[in-house]
Amino acid sequence: MEILKVENVTKRFANHTALDDVSLEVPRGSVYGLLGPNGAGKSTLIRIINRITAPDSGHVYLNGHELAPEDVYKIGYLPEERGLYKQMKVGEQAVYFAQLKGLSHREATARLKTWFKKFGIEYWWDKKVSELSKGMAQKVQFIVTVLHEPELLIFDEPFSGFDPINANLLKEEILALRDNGATVIFSTHNMASVEEICDHITLINKSHNILSGSLEQIRREHGTNIFEVEFIGDRTALATQLTGKGFSLLEADDEEPSAVQKLKIHIDDHIRIKELVSDINSTVEIRSFREIIPSMNDIFIKAVSGIL
Amino acid sequence: MGKIGLIARREFNERVRKKSFIITTIITPLLMVGAMVLMVWLMGRTNNRDKEILVVDRSGIIAPSLSDEGTIHFRPSEQSLEEMQREQPEGVYGILVIDEDIMTDQRGANLYTYEASTVETEEAIAGQIKRIVESEKLKAYDIENLDRILAEIETPITLQTKTISTDGEMKDSSSTLSLISAYIFGLLIYMFVITYGTMVMQGVIEEKSNKVLELIVSSVKPFELMMGKIIGIASVALTQLLIWVVFIVVAGGAVLNIFAGDMMAAAASMNAGTAMPAGMDPESMDTVAMLSRLTDFGYILTLIIGFIVYFIGGYLFYASMFAAVGSAVDNEKDTQNLQLPITIPLLVSFFVLINAMQDPNGPLAFWFSLIPLTSPIIMMARLPYGVPGWEIVLSVALLYLSFVGMVWLAGKIYRVGIFMYGKKPTFKELFKWMKYKY
Repeated sequence: MEILKVENVTKRFANHTALDDVSLEVPRGSVYGLLGPNGAGKSTLIRIINRITAPDSGHVYLNGHELAPEDVYKIGYLPEERGLYKQMKVGEQAVYFAQLKGLSHREATARLKTWFKKFGIEYWWDKKVSELSKGMAQKVQFIVTVLHEPELLIFDEPFSGFDPINANLLKEEILALRDNGATVIFSTHNMASVEEICDHITLINKSHNILSGSLEQIRREHGTNIFEVEFIGDRTALATQLTGKGFSLLEADDEEPSAVQKLKIHIDDHIRIKELVSDINSTVEIRSFREIIPSMNDIFIKAVSGIL
Repeated sequence: MGKIGLIARREFNERVRKKSFIITTIITPLLMVGAMVLMVWLMGRTNNRDKEILVVDRSGIIAPSLSDEGTIHFRPSEQSLEEMQREQPEGVYGILVIDEDIMTDQRGANLYTYEASTVETEEAIAGQIKRIVESEKLKAYDIENLDRILAEIETPITLQTKTISTDGEMKDSSSTLSLISAYIFGLLIYMFVITYGTMVMQGVIEEKSNKVLELIVSSVKPFELMMGKIIGIASVALTQLLIWVVFIVVAGGAVLNIFAGDMMAAAASMNAGTAMPAGMDPESMDTVAMLSRLTDFGYILTLIIGFIVYFIGGYLFYASMFAAVGSAVDNEKDTQNLQLPITIPLLVSFFVLINAMQDPNGPLAFWFSLIPLTSPIIMMARLPYGVPGWEIVLSVALLYLSFVGMVWLAGKIYRVGIFMYGKKPTFKELFKWMKYKY
């Protein structure tokens, strides 16, 4: 069952419509990517889920019932615009934010000590935030986001501003949280990270949900019907074997004579894969055979520019 | 603890622990006492400077009877006016020239000074000449024992004032004390509202530029955040006030007991309802009346409670406006324009305050002490003189009702404003924000 359901949400501002009849379902335990170019309406949708702002029409359901004020305790949110009180001490500040998320002072302190130890930053406790570097402050912010162990975590552009080492650490933490049963929504336009950690995505463009589903399914649906075969054998013979059967050969890498050769083939119909494979098999020795699956980046760009 | 409470507590702790708070809390009363001491000392210095006045008496009547008064000393001149005009005799303040027909010409006395003369000096000299001319004229009637009669009829009057309250009870009143209290309390509200209101605005701008806001509003409603901030800062203000009140009561009480112990005793007995102790000269009786008011617990309590009620109401009213302004801008430089609806009523209050001190029951003071924008300052200026109960009730009710309305409106602007970055909004836009649905 889905943990979060957004139903026909519309939000208008004075001069533009930020979200127009957007619906989506986030499966429990998934890492859900919310993609879209800048200004598409992602942040508005995230604010609506966080109850920072209300939709003009439509509904948002958490665990099957309409979002209520106490649901903020079940959600952890790391905004894109992140900051802390500069003059406040790290520990005190983290406890304060945890208290705002409903933890008691004692509970918050105990959990924070554990997290600080885990990240090896216990000595930051009594430092002022202004003494920390940007990356250090980001770590504190991440801890604050997950401390109250929310069911639903929302990260808005989580990797922006992190160096590669910390970005990797963050990625591992996000996956660990998922493995512990949390659901993660994260908004990004960094496609590499989507492919690495998301299992479901929604693509929002110009206030509309233009593409939704599991990563696998989407890629398959947007498959190009192009296959690549690596083989050892007579290239010309293979080409002759395949011509005139509804397959088109896309590349002939004959400039690079090596033992293993490659060939890309387009087929009009998925059902004929078996036929293709047996045709190739009868002529040359197959080393590998795979479908060329488009990268999320390609799908993203195509979808946004309206080619799909 | 509710969320507003959590936020208020953070605001309070952060501010009270700051070195600047501790320093201003200690330094301000010391500075004020210091300034007063300096003022008194400087005034004493100028008054102590001797003013030597050379007299050229062409009538021969005035000069023999002129007597030194305070710092003014008279000395017959040895030079003519023309000579002294060319060259200033050393250490001389001015030259008094009396014409021959001083008895008949009221414009017959002329004072030439080498620097601008003061009203005080002029009045003293004119007064002496007037008395001399009057007594010369009296002498012309040839009355026997004139000097003794004159001495006998001279009677100084110190007006004893009592106010009749609505329940017919009579109370000593001291307009001097009322005037001072009116000024101090009115000014104090004005200063507190501006200082702490600005602090609210700066706090909002700081949160906005720190980008910490979005994190907070995912846990609390913007309205709760605004109210928490306003209440937290209000408690900082009240803490500071409390420290100052304790300081003033302790220091003031000690000073009064040391320097005016007998007068304090007299004041205490006046409060107790017994008669004024006999054998006290009228001058100090006035001071005793003032002290009696000052140590009258009920009177002081009314002023302090009034101050707290009006401070809280006025502060909340203005602080929510300050919060709305802070939410609408990115940095403090952009606030000036939007602050106009705040600063103008406060400035108006300040000017009306001066009028209300002199005419506490006049129409200007009456109306401005009812209008919520100005009532905190103006009513505080009227309160020391005594104000009818219904006026206070009406004024407080209006203030608190409009504060609720203002907080509601400010909350609406705040909610939209905190997410607006990059452009300087106009009043028109602020009004539009109020209508946004959230």
